[in-house]
Amino acid sequence: MFKKILFATSATRASDHAARVAFNIARAYHARLDIFHVLGVPSRGYSQVVVDIKTRERVDVDDDYMAWVQDEITTYYADYLKNGLDYDIHVAVGLPAREILRRARETEPDLILLGGSTEEEHDGVYKKTVAGTTLQKVARAARCPVLVVTRPAASFWGGISSITFGTDFSKASDKAFEFALKMALTLNCELHVFHALAITSLSSERLMSQDDIEQKIREKLRVIRARYEPRLKTLKQYTMEVWEGIPYMEIVKYARETHSDLIIMAHHSRKLETDDRAFGSNVEQVIVRAGCPVISINR
Amino acid sequence: MPEGTYCNKKPINTPEEVNFLLSDSSGTKYYEEMTRLDVDTELLVSTIEKTMKTRLKTWLEICAHCGMCADSCFLYQVNGKDPKQVPAYKIQSTLGEIVKRKGKVTNAFMRHAMEVAWAQCTCCNRCGMYCPHGIDTGIMFGYLRGLLYQQGFVPWELKIGAGMHRAYRAQMDVTDADFVETFEWMVEEYEDDYPGLTVPVDVEDADIFYTVNAREVKHYPEDLAEAAVLFHAAGENWTIASKGWEQTSLAMFAGDWAACKMQVESVYGAMERLKPKRMVGTECGHAHRATVIEGPYWAGRPDGRPPVESIHYVEWLAQALESGKLKIDPDKRIQEPVTLQDSCNYIRNHGLKKATRTIMQHIVAPGYFIEMSPNKEHNYCCGGGGGFNGIGVFRKQRNRALLTKRDQILATGAQLVIAPCHNCWDAIRDLEEEYEIGIRWSFLKPLIIKMLVVPDHMKPEE
Ligand code: SF4
Ligand code: SF4
Ligand code: SF4
Repeated sequence: MFKKILFATSATRASDHAARVAFNIARAYHARLDIFHVLGVPSRGYSQVVVDIKTRERVDVDDDYMAWVQDEITTYYADYLKNGLDYDIHVAVGLPAREILRRARETEPDLILLGGSTEEEHDGVYKKTVAGTTLQKVARAARCPVLVVTRPAASFWGGISSITFGTDFSKASDKAFEFALKMALTLNCELHVFHALAITSLSSERLMSQDDIEQKIREKLRVIRARYEPRLKTLKQYTMEVWEGIPYMEIVKYARETHSDLIIMAHHSRKLETDDRAFGSNVEQVIVRAGCPVISINR
Repeated sequence: MPEGTYCNKKPINTPEEVNFLLSDSSGTKYYEEMTRLDVDTELLVSTIEKTMKTRLKTWLEICAHCGMCADSCFLYQVNGKDPKQVPAYKIQSTLGEIVKRKGKVTNAFMRHAMEVAWAQCTCCNRCGMYCPHGIDTGIMFGYLRGLLYQQGFVPWELKIGAGMHRAYRAQMDVTDADFVETFEWMVEEYEDDYPGLTVPVDVEDADIFYTVNAREVKHYPEDLAEAAVLFHAAGENWTIASKGWEQTSLAMFAGDWAACKMQVESVYGAMERLKPKRMVGTECGHAHRATVIEGPYWAGRPDGRPPVESIHYVEWLAQALESGKLKIDPDKRIQEPVTLQDSCNYIRNHGLKKATRTIMQHIVAPGYFIEMSPNKEHNYCCGGGGGFNGIGVFRKQRNRALLTKRDQILATGAQLVIAPCHNCWDAIRDLEEEYEIGIRWSFLKPLIIKMLVVPDHMKPEE
């Protein structure tokens, strides 16, 4: 399933949950783990000074410094790295999202793994200039699935027995479905196909009547069946479900109810609405709320 | 000791030499060696004889020491009106002395001159507008920097910067292949949102040949994509060059005249090869100065102009907005107090104030644009010009220099500052970091993209 995993880490506690999952997966699939750390943000015009993301100090980055950071990371993950794990540690300078994408372009991993939002750790000033979070940017542009773990509750990748796939019927969702199906087949587990009917209550002029809602739900269920069921039949166990509400909430609730250990969704909001970072897209909301790892797919 | 291993009179020319100098973190050994560097008086004198224009000699001689230039210099103001910061004093006590003493100056003198040339003048040319004799101290400092560079008395980062241009024909270690690759990568990343987006490489006879700042390639490649999106939206027939794509010149800040020539000739070479109708450069002030204003003289072009008409990004943008090639959604215009940084390099020194004001009219809802005071050609330097931003040893002085811009911005009450110049953008970013006044700052491209009426030919399918 996964042969090459790019694990982008801050090598601080903010990435610990993701680290657990990264090492779990690498071991489970005998994958090569590319541990990648962006050590700092370029600063000072053309000068060599960089603001270290971890210490917030201004440092002169030279080969010695890079080597030192590399050692630090090795020490930080020493326990995980034992026993013949196939790994590589790489350190770069730049804006995190950009450098992660650059690395992914070079190494073509089949999964990118990101930790939780490390925004709080970032230098305040640069955060303001570079609108949008690392997560948003990577999920939006990556050419492979992106697995994100933000909460400790989500930091386990064991025997996966149930996957929730959330669809909005977009093209990207079709791609995500392919991936979810393949995953369910390989892992021999349940797949729950889910769609949430967005009910925008307060702001909309007219509340949908309950009859309308139920009518819509039936329609969407038909769409799900037509679109996915023929393929789902190859699986031992699957369900299809449509709920109404605020989509990201419903998906998280549904995943909890089906005891899913993984959620797969398309990152379809391709254009970055940098101004309302607080809201973000559904998948981003799911990521910060879910009790299990979330994989986002955009192509 | 005459020449050091790190600090010497020899320019650096290769990636290996660049890396060697970089390995000396913060230039510690470099500056230490500089304290023992010999001054080559003979070379200094002969260089002055060969290169110092009559205009400069006259300026040195006719200065009446009237001090009318004092208040015009933001560094004088911001440093407690220290008489040592009066433009005339600064140049007389350095370049003036070298000439007067016929090059017989000491190592300590040269190191002091280095500090004055790079930490007490940003070559913003503001004082030149206020001198009754038209003496432009900024130009003289540019010349002094050349003499200092030749003698090896140049800040570490700028020796490296000039070396980058020699080794890569770019201000950073970005190769020609990196450049094209990165541009293509960015277009791939954006093409789902903007169908049909491409980056034409080495297309001959295009209407526009686009040049950039290597920093965009290295750290902010979105800027490349944004440029492509806007050219595409405007329906332009444009191209980039796989060689001669870098418009900036740290060599100019360093006073490395030979490297200035090499760099600008690589851009002119691309113009001659591709024969575009005109060149458009990115949102950078000093790049415009280097390639469009000073470049022709470095390259010895008889007509004093680049091989093809060359304009700044703000000129292209203003024209595209005026002609309707780019359309702005009026509801998406900026609706908060916003101010504009006038870059000395193309506003004061190249008169483009109208272009930027035209842009403001299009992108800011009426009543929200607030001018700084003073503004246009009278605007003060951002505080980090002429290489000041990047020099570690002069960081303290630079941070002090930012106070002028800080207070100018505060006086406008705006929280958004538009800075269509890399250097100014950096300085304003740094001033927020230093003084935390709660502002945001931006280039034009990302702002325009957000408010653009996307033409039908580039609407995404879904
Ligand atoms: S204003 Fe002109 S003449 Fe007067 S001191 Fe300054 S440079 Fe000299
Ligand atoms: S060019 Fe600018 S910084 Fe230099 S002395 Fe004149 S006013 Fe001051
Ligand atoms: S950095 Fe900007 S404001 Fe400062 S001298 Fe250069 S163009 Fe002028």
